[in-house]
Amino acid sequence: MGLVASIRRLGRIAEPAPPTTWAGAAPPDQASKHPEAGGGAEALPAALRGSLQLRHVDAGSCNGCEIEIGACFSPVYDAERYGARLVASPRHADGLLVTGVVTRNMTDALRDTVAATPEPRVVIAVGDCARDCGEFAGAYGVVGAVRDVVPVDAEVPGCPPPPDAIIQVLRQVTGR
Amino acid sequence: MSAAHLPALLGGLTLAACLGAAAVPRRALPGVAGAGTALVGAAGVACGVAALDRGIEPIELAGALPLAGLRLAADATSGLFLVLIGAVAVAAGIYTAGYAGRGHGSARTPLVLLPVFVAAMLAVPLAASVTTFLFFWELMALASLALVLAEQRRPAVREAGLAYAVMTHLGFVAVLVGLVVFAAAAGAEEFGGLGEAAAGLSPATRTAVFLCTVIGFGSKAGLVPLHAWLPRAHPEAPSQVSALMSAGMVNLGIYGVVRVDLDLLGPGPRWWGLALLAAGAATAVYGVLQAAVATDLKRLLAYSTSENMGLVCVALGVAALLRATAGNDEPTAAGAAAVVALTAAFVHLFGHAAFKCLGFLAAGSVLAATGRRDLDALGGLARRMPTTTTAFGIAALGACGLPLGCGFIGEWLLVQSLVHALPAGGTLVALVLPLTVGVVALTAGLGVAAMVKAFGVGFLARPRSEEAERAVEGGPAMAAGMGLAALACGVLAVAPAVLSPALGRVLPELPAVTGQGAGAVPAPDLDTVLRLPGTSGAMSPGLLAVGVAVGIVVALAATHWRARRRPAPLRDAPLWACGGAAPTARMQYTATSFAEPLQRVFDGILRPEVEFAVTPYPQSSYLVERASYRSRLRDVVESVFYRPVLRAISAAAAVVRRAHQGSIHAYLAYGALGLVVALLVAM
Repeated sequence: MGLVASIRRLGRIAEPAPPTTWAGAAPPDQASKHPEAGGGAEALPAALRGSLQLRHVDAGSCNGCEIEIGACFSPVYDAERYGARLVASPRHADGLLVTGVVTRNMTDALRDTVAATPEPRVVIAVGDCARDCGEFAGAYGVVGAVRDVVPVDAEVPGCPPPPDAIIQVLRQVTGR
Repeated sequence: MSAAHLPALLGGLTLAACLGAAAVPRRALPGVAGAGTALVGAAGVACGVAALDRGIEPIELAGALPLAGLRLAADATSGLFLVLIGAVAVAAGIYTAGYAGRGHGSARTPLVLLPVFVAAMLAVPLAASVTTFLFFWELMALASLALVLAEQRRPAVREAGLAYAVMTHLGFVAVLVGLVVFAAAAGAEEFGGLGEAAAGLSPATRTAVFLCTVIGFGSKAGLVPLHAWLPRAHPEAPSQVSALMSAGMVNLGIYGVVRVDLDLLGPGPRWWGLALLAAGAATAVYGVLQAAVATDLKRLLAYSTSENMGLVCVALGVAALLRATAGNDEPTAAGAAAVVALTAAFVHLFGHAAFKCLGFLAAGSVLAATGRRDLDALGGLARRMPTTTTAFGIAALGACGLPLGCGFIGEWLLVQSLVHALPAGGTLVALVLPLTVGVVALTAGLGVAAMVKAFGVGFLARPRSEEAERAVEGGPAMAAGMGLAALACGVLAVAPAVLSPALGRVLPELPAVTGQGAGAVPAPDLDTVLRLPGTSGAMSPGLLAVGVAVGIVVALAATHWRARRRPAPLRDAPLWACGGAAPTARMQYTATSFAEPLQRVFDGILRPEVEFAVTPYPQSSYLVERASYRSRLRDVVESVFYRPVLRAISAAAAVVRRAHQGSIHAYLAYGALGLVVALLVAM
């Protein structure tokens, strides 16, 4: 019982969480909701509050966003302290982090992945390419932005978006 | 009817079953042979129960065998094995009626011989003299050989039959030499006389008898390196014969060790126990390792038999070792642990017989439905053959040695005996027993891998061949046979207390292990809660089962309640194939790929022959045109120990062959020369 007692005595040791920029309502820039998904943070599924298991899908990214997502889960930004976690299969996931423009080769795979994720789920488009094709708009292999292929619940702007911005959106979902 | 009539009933039933099977028309043959076998088995169980109850008084049949005659008797130890083999025969007999009825192993000779084989197996524990024992031992070997050769048109069967014939007869020679030396030195032929005279024999004689009989009986029980016939003969024999051999006949190897080496020869020096323990440990690990990488369903089960006999042998070895350590002056922890180990051996024999019989019957059902034993060609049977799948699942759970499986109790008792004996004994015991715990743990772990593979790859997921896709259940007789064996599995797993009265009678009969006088230890109490004498170990498989059942019901009720409270809309989603195209049967794990990591880890022991070749396009070495992978696993003991011996025999035969020119003159000359030599020697 010594271990449990010392855990109780010590409590949690971590830096205080940085302030949220959204403060209750979705700020227009940092995490703009897709119009079709309905407005405001309250439209995100309440069942995912507290714990969010994420599967990352690279639909055709330049890997810039991947590096930033990797940084989110590093000890510096530590997204897991807000309840978000990366998992290895959409069958284990509550949500998807989609990066990059949707290329022709990844269109069906993206649709399948969304279909394989149990509901309630969130689809988060990370980065400018995922939002509106960014630099690659109109290229021959590009089908479109993520929202052209699957319904999107939240978006993170930036090329690439800094880890803070990604974590802001994840905290919006988990509410922590 | 008194107990003395039961062996006569057994003989009469055997004769009737044989004649009946030989006389009836073809159509009725499977039913008659199956029913006859089951009846002979039931008579064996009756004999066994009577022997356990009061023992069967010696019966002399002076004229039955020239010179020596036959002598039958049974004490509780014999009774235990009679019940075991009889029960297996009942399940296998009922199953035969369905299996042979579907045209598998349905030739007349094997079916007529089936009751004879069962009767010979039952007669071995009934034998009460050396001659009788050897007679029935050989009868059993010959009958089983004929049954292995039931489908002798296939070359693989003939090869397996040859290997089995040679191995079983070499084993017989070892037993023969051992018992004849024993009888000659003791000056008695009946087992009772042997037991009395054994204490007065010289240590050299005792050692010689011990080594010969352990080698002979060990080859029957499938101990490494004498196991080579098991993985050859079992897959090729008809499935009910595999079940009888694997769940019945191999136990008689253990019976031989218990009867001759522990009972008659009496308490031996410590190294006897160590020898049994070492042989058992090597067998258990090697057997389970081969089972884990086997892809042939019946070969896997055969190696698993080898493994479990190894565990039983470990238990016997631990019991003998601890008894030799304990002494008879006062009750000691080592003495108590020795009794627990002996109990573990008997309980595990029963558990193994139940799940292995069921396993082979289920494998036979798969073979009858698909014609395939190769796990890489099976799969998807759960939906097509639910009864067989359930049966194999129960058998696999038993073989895993996990709670709620019938192999668990025996392994738990064995580990308890190993753990609780620690304070007793000197450096040797303190060194050997923890190592043995490791061996048992490794065996259990690999056993789980082997059985998960057999069940998961063989029965779940999608069919890998057309035959597996078209599989259908085999009918009521086969289901009844499997149901009986499954029932036995369930009872042994949940309520091992059924064995308690029998063990209470058997253990005092083996004072060489359980101790005498003040050092004697009572049998463990296998009641609802298993309590071990002299130790603090206790466990209740029945309550455990109830707990698990309650847990499952509560979890189901909770999810049901949650689902009702907040109904989630159902939706159809495509099967997840990692974003690729629709999954096909080729994407599944195969038995080979499932075992590949293990094969890699144990590369040094298994020595697989792997060929991997990639053919690129001529334009670029990065573009693969074709890749071929071939992996072949041989029994490494066979290639290391047997091939040199066989090669030496062939070389010797080649030398001798030079003298055989086929010329009559040469043979006449040899005859004359031989006569001259004989005369010279005689002068």
